[in-house]
Amino acid sequence: MPALDVSGLTYTYPGSSVPALKNVSFQAESGQLLAIVGPNEAGKSTLSLALAGLIPALFHGEMLGRVAVCGLDTRDHSPGDFAGRVGLVLQNPVNQLSGMRYTVYDEVAFGLENLGIPRIEMPGRIEQALVQVGLVDLRHRSPYTLSGGQQQRLALASVLVMSPSVLILDETTAMLDPQGRQEIFGVVQSLAQTGVTVIIVEHHLEWIARHANRVLALENGEVILDGPPDQVLTSARLRKNGVGWLRYTRVAALGQSRSLWPANRGLPVTLKETAAGFRSNGQE
Amino acid sequence: MTASPTPSHSGTLYQPGASFLHRLHPLTKLTFSLCALVVIFSGPGGWLSALLPGLLALSLLWRAGLGRLAARLSFRLLAWLAVIMFGIHGFFGPDNQTILFNLGPLEVGQEGIEFAFLITIRLAAMLLVSLTLVLTTHPSHLVQALTEFGLPGGLAYLLGSPLLLLPQMVVRAQAIHAVQQARGLETQGNLLQRMRALFPLVAPLVFSTLVDVEERSLALEVRGFSAPTRKTFLNELVDTRSQRLARRGLIALSIVTFLLGVGWRLYASS
Amino acid sequence: MSLKEQLKKDFSTITLALMAVGIVLNLVLGQTVSLLKLPIFLDSIGTVIVALLAGPWAGGLTGLLSNLIWGMISDPVAAAFAPVAMIIGIVAGLCAKYGLFKAWWQAVISGVLITLALSLVAIPIRVYMFGGVTGSGADFVTAYLLATGQSLFSSVITTVIGNNLVDKIVTALLAWGIVKGLPKRFTSRFSRADKVTG
Repeated sequence: MPALDVSGLTYTYPGSSVPALKNVSFQAESGQLLAIVGPNEAGKSTLSLALAGLIPALFHGEMLGRVAVCGLDTRDHSPGDFAGRVGLVLQNPVNQLSGMRYTVYDEVAFGLENLGIPRIEMPGRIEQALVQVGLVDLRHRSPYTLSGGQQQRLALASVLVMSPSVLILDETTAMLDPQGRQEIFGVVQSLAQTGVTVIIVEHHLEWIARHANRVLALENGEVILDGPPDQVLTSARLRKNGVGWLRYTRVAALGQSRSLWPANRGLPVTLKETAAGFRSNGQE
Repeated sequence: MTASPTPSHSGTLYQPGASFLHRLHPLTKLTFSLCALVVIFSGPGGWLSALLPGLLALSLLWRAGLGRLAARLSFRLLAWLAVIMFGIHGFFGPDNQTILFNLGPLEVGQEGIEFAFLITIRLAAMLLVSLTLVLTTHPSHLVQALTEFGLPGGLAYLLGSPLLLLPQMVVRAQAIHAVQQARGLETQGNLLQRMRALFPLVAPLVFSTLVDVEERSLALEVRGFSAPTRKTFLNELVDTRSQRLARRGLIALSIVTFLLGVGWRLYASS
Repeated sequence: MSLKEQLKKDFSTITLALMAVGIVLNLVLGQTVSLLKLPIFLDSIGTVIVALLAGPWAGGLTGLLSNLIWGMISDPVAAAFAPVAMIIGIVAGLCAKYGLFKAWWQAVISGVLITLALSLVAIPIRVYMFGGVTGSGADFVTAYLLATGQSLFSSVITTVIGNNLVDKIVTALLAWGIVKGLPKRFTSRFSRADKVTG
């Protein structure tokens, strides 16, 4: 059973005449790190909400097709059923806090309390989640005194403690400084090894190129590309639709037009591939 | 709303500590406060029914080491009110008949002074009684106690989250104020200018906080906020058999006092 | 729809998040506006916005809890006026429900109705609990009226209405303008908003 199974998903928000998602279909296996890219208004956030089981339940729009998360059809289950199966972390760090707990440690407990997990089970799970995101030393601090990056790691811990099998990150690093962004990426990389399926909506293409197993590109609500990073990220369509190309890809394309890049070689997405490509030009 | 509250954004009135009042179960303190309020406003004997619970609350606070603070807070909140109260009712009390003495051209009436005395004692008692709860109970413990008692999760959220939201929003309001002033918004000018400043000060704060509402609610959903399961709590609130008994006793006592008060009023008016 | 279903719809998680923000807006804007030294408090604008978006029950509860929380964190006296704040939310929500918040001039009428309704609750509390005095500038009006020989009750009636009328009209107008200005995608999340946004 795939962790995520989306078929023919079309979704229109109430009061809108244009669908936000059009006939989206894909599957994700467990343990996959799947990145979603696309220009603004491409439907990335809508897709995140649909994968988290929040659409259609919470929005009164119109949905066609089917989304199954961990084998559960999102039409037949409420958000409460998906809590603990799917984790979702959004953009603004402060908005991810429950607003109900006064320390980092208690904040992480909030999800467990809502799911009715027995008290004796909690400390062990909280401890583990805090270790995963590297916040053990800040456990007694107020969540409101943390930096943005620390708050987002707290948000991550707060969903990881519920041991979800799918984790969705919707532009989680967009409001962070480079340091905070690296902190989040570090946690996500280590997660991929634990068998959690990670769906990440992200603008930082360089990281996607190095760490994603697969990239889905959306445009106007449709999946226009689906494949490994070196195929999707070098597509001409991304260059034109506002997502853009990595500097490595741009340099190599420039080289290609001046015969400095090997004709039989695809365009690169990492520094290593770029160096290797230019070095091998003329030798092959 | 007409009562103008004193600004204090540093947080709640809660004072961390380990006194016997701190260690009582939040519901015990809440029951005491509510029952005492009933007695204060409905008990027999007028100001005596207000004085006794007030003195009891003050002595409890004193034993918990908070008497000085409670007295200072009550004075700050009530002194001004009392001055106006005695002034208005002493000079202009509508029931004034017995003239106590003259102050220049004005007459001071005994009935007005008595009335002002009653109201002031009541308000002071009401304050002290609420302070036994508010000063010694962490807000999140009160919310947890109410939830364990059966308060719906939604109401618990509404009681708890504004306390943590408030400091952030104050900072945001100050930032907006500073930005608008830097842009030349006149907040000190004549009435018309100040009226014009209203929208630019209010709208950005309202819009920016409303925009956050959706994300906040989604973050709650993914953490099982609306899951139908019965919630558990990380921290245990200690309750005892004697406290449960005491709460029942307090409720019974306040009902009896209420009935006595009704009887007393009927007797007094006949 | 049964009452239980209606309540569930009226108090969805997003409505609760809106109400929490409404409570804090009441507390913060009251302070911000006091800087301008206008005869306006604006300390129920959050309540009215919630009432317009999410209905009379949500609005009433927002008002009630605003004052209870203010009582908890700063001034227990405010808690005594919690029923007044609740009436403001309920009446604003009812005005919206019956189409009295579609145009600016209707918002003005709603402001007047809110003032009349809140007076019914505020006057007894002021008279019986506080002896007509609340420690604000309005007390001098009460004092003056008493000095002219009016009864305590009628003095307080005049004071409360005079004190609230302008504030509630401005509050209703601002809330109406703000709700009209919200994106459709946001207002569509609330069951009652279409009564205002049309």
